[in-house]
Amino acid sequence: MFVAQERLSQVSNHLSAASKSGKQSILEKHPDDVVVTCALRTPITKGGKGGFKDTAAADLLLGAFKALIERSGIDTNLVEDIAVGTVLAPGGGATEFRAAALAAGFPVTAAVKSLNRQCSSGLQACVDIANQIKAGMIEIGIGAGTESMSTQYGPQAISEFSELLESHTEAANCKVSMGVLSEKMAKAQNIPRSAQDKFAAESFQKAVEAQKQGLFDEEIAPLTVKWTDPKTDEEKTITVSKDDGVRQGITAESLGKIRPAFAKDGSIHAGNASQISDGAAAVLLMKRSTAQRLNQPIIGKFVQASIVGVPPLLMGVGPAAAIPVVLQKTGLHKDDVDIWEINEAFASQCLYCINELGLDAKKINPKGGAIAFGHPLGVTGARQVSTLFTELRRRGEKIGVTSMCVGTGMGMAAVWVAE
Amino acid sequence: MLEFRTQGYNGYSVKYSPFFDSRLAVAASANFGLVGNGRLYVLELTAKGIVAEKWFDTQDSLFDTAWSEAHENQLLAASGDGSIKLFDITLSDFPVQSWQEHAREVFAVHWNLVAKDTFLSSSWDGTIKIWNPQSSASLTTLPTHSCTYSAEFSPHSPNILSSVSSDSHLRIFDLRTPASASNHLTLSIPIHTPPKPRMGAAASVGIAPSEALTHDWNKYRDTVLATAGVDRLIRTFDIRAPNAGPVAVLAGHEYAVRRITWSPHLSDILLSASYDMTCRAWTDGSAMGVTQVKQENMVHQEPMALGGGRQMGRMGRHTEFVTGVDWCLFGAEGWCASTGWDERVLVWDCRALMQ
Repeated sequence: MFVAQERLSQVSNHLSAASKSGKQSILEKHPDDVVVTCALRTPITKGGKGGFKDTAAADLLLGAFKALIERSGIDTNLVEDIAVGTVLAPGGGATEFRAAALAAGFPVTAAVKSLNRQCSSGLQACVDIANQIKAGMIEIGIGAGTESMSTQYGPQAISEFSELLESHTEAANCKVSMGVLSEKMAKAQNIPRSAQDKFAAESFQKAVEAQKQGLFDEEIAPLTVKWTDPKTDEEKTITVSKDDGVRQGITAESLGKIRPAFAKDGSIHAGNASQISDGAAAVLLMKRSTAQRLNQPIIGKFVQASIVGVPPLLMGVGPAAAIPVVLQKTGLHKDDVDIWEINEAFASQCLYCINELGLDAKKINPKGGAIAFGHPLGVTGARQVSTLFTELRRRGEKIGVTSMCVGTGMGMAAVWVAE
Repeated sequence: MLEFRTQGYNGYSVKYSPFFDSRLAVAASANFGLVGNGRLYVLELTAKGIVAEKWFDTQDSLFDTAWSEAHENQLLAASGDGSIKLFDITLSDFPVQSWQEHAREVFAVHWNLVAKDTFLSSSWDGTIKIWNPQSSASLTTLPTHSCTYSAEFSPHSPNILSSVSSDSHLRIFDLRTPASASNHLTLSIPIHTPPKPRMGAAASVGIAPSEALTHDWNKYRDTVLATAGVDRLIRTFDIRAPNAGPVAVLAGHEYAVRRITWSPHLSDILLSASYDMTCRAWTDGSAMGVTQVKQENMVHQEPMALGGGRQMGRMGRHTEFVTGVDWCLFGAEGWCASTGWDERVLVWDCRALMQ
């Protein structure tokens, strides 16, 4: 049989090298794959009320960094670059984040940048690091995200539009409030409130169930912070270890009673849109060969990402535009994907994308999404990585896609493989 | 389209007789050539379809066959056990001669088209051997140090031969050169070399070497060869400019290309057979009058494509890997035969597919 074995492997070599894309090829393991060896997040807490309401974005980031260093056991001297996605921090947060990295224990040789691609900043940070590794610019890097919407959310995040921008229709559309345009889109695409409320209630129910089963415990790094009790004004030190935005007992009927937020006859309200939240997340990336050399446990790999623009007024369709692109790039069929982590900015836009792409509802956000536990803007993309990988591994599945719509009209998506 | 079933045997190679327009030889193997017997079919094209005039069974799988250029009734078979056998179709059962020198599977045999008194074989053991049917031992052994899937004599010179192997190199040997450490090797062309940068085109990116599975000499232009293999691309090279990279790159096959063969009638046309279950006809873009693809229309073209060649037709009737394809030398230019793992031999007119 020895000869037969050899002949068979010879022929299969002819075939395996030929398929440059598709499910089989992305499941292959190569030394130059960009892999994730640790992905974690802080809990995500309610803006203005939650456990992190008095914690600065940089402090949240510092906490995530410390946990990442401790859990992964990575030699901090080997980390060459850190990208941090954040949306609201004035000045992009560049100074504080560099300081946070140093305070967390990274040496001065570890570079830090902050970046802002709105709601996909966290994913963009991971993708930037992955691409830097692919290109050979660095060997080990961290993609992260942090956001303190409690302290930094507000009108100051956007400066006034000049006349030049205002006089261009599509440009002026960029500053239309997302709630308003999502409302319009829900109407235009005919997504009734009942469907949105049902979707939102399911998100809560899935998250409650996941919390009960402890499915978030693995990805969450608890964080001890100072917190001022709003009743007594007393400053306490508390340890936050759970997403506190997840509410028990939410049903489509209970959501049905909430008043719409953006239009009297509207369909969008606080219960079927993402919550305002605080949190941070971090993802450690390197080449497979490096991970093996350093004995880092590989939890999955980054395969490919896509970014597309859509009309600013249709910002919510972003995932429906970005996902087909990333599938085409990787040669995957939508049925090859085991879990979709599509950010629930609004139930309306998420539902639209799911229907448009014809995705299997059972595979979408199996542990709930931003409607249930919040959407700290710059964090979500990096948060999805840990949420996705822990769930893929728990189910023994392989391929996942993370995606989100991006303010001002963009969509981003990425393909990941759990190992 | 005519069809013959090689029941129980998966085709590996098909060759038209150089003497009769109605005679075909097919090398086939049981169990996809992994383990078990081989069978060499001699098929006759008759008014009643394709008839098996004779077959010879062998102990091990057969991977290639070649008709003798000197004797109309003799043909060679390349066997998985490392042997080469010469059969005479006027005799039954046993070969008239058998040579056992290769250490591993013999994957190609080819008769010298000019001198007609020698033939060659190439093997997974990393050697090419040259033989005389009258002699019981090989005349020469040329090492390639790499699993050699395909080797051929030049149709223009009795002393020049070529090979492609799994190390992604096209080698040219000239037997007139003095015996030396180079073992008659005169050229070694890396097949994966990207084309030279051109005006108005993006610089080509480097591509990884991949196993070359097949090649063929152009029948009219004595310095032009085509190669193909695992990277799915067919390339043509001009050995007068060995360092210039490919002259033409033809992209389209979806899996590895298993065999290519230039037309005996037209200098720019070649046929390919692939693991993607298709045979395709191509022009390499060298013929006068073939319209060149205009620059502005190249946006949606395959990024690797080069040289203005294009696919002219495709035969998708096979239902498994296509492993062998050959042109009929006689009659109307365009008849060809193909065989594959679907246990079928198909005889078809390539012109019917051309666009």
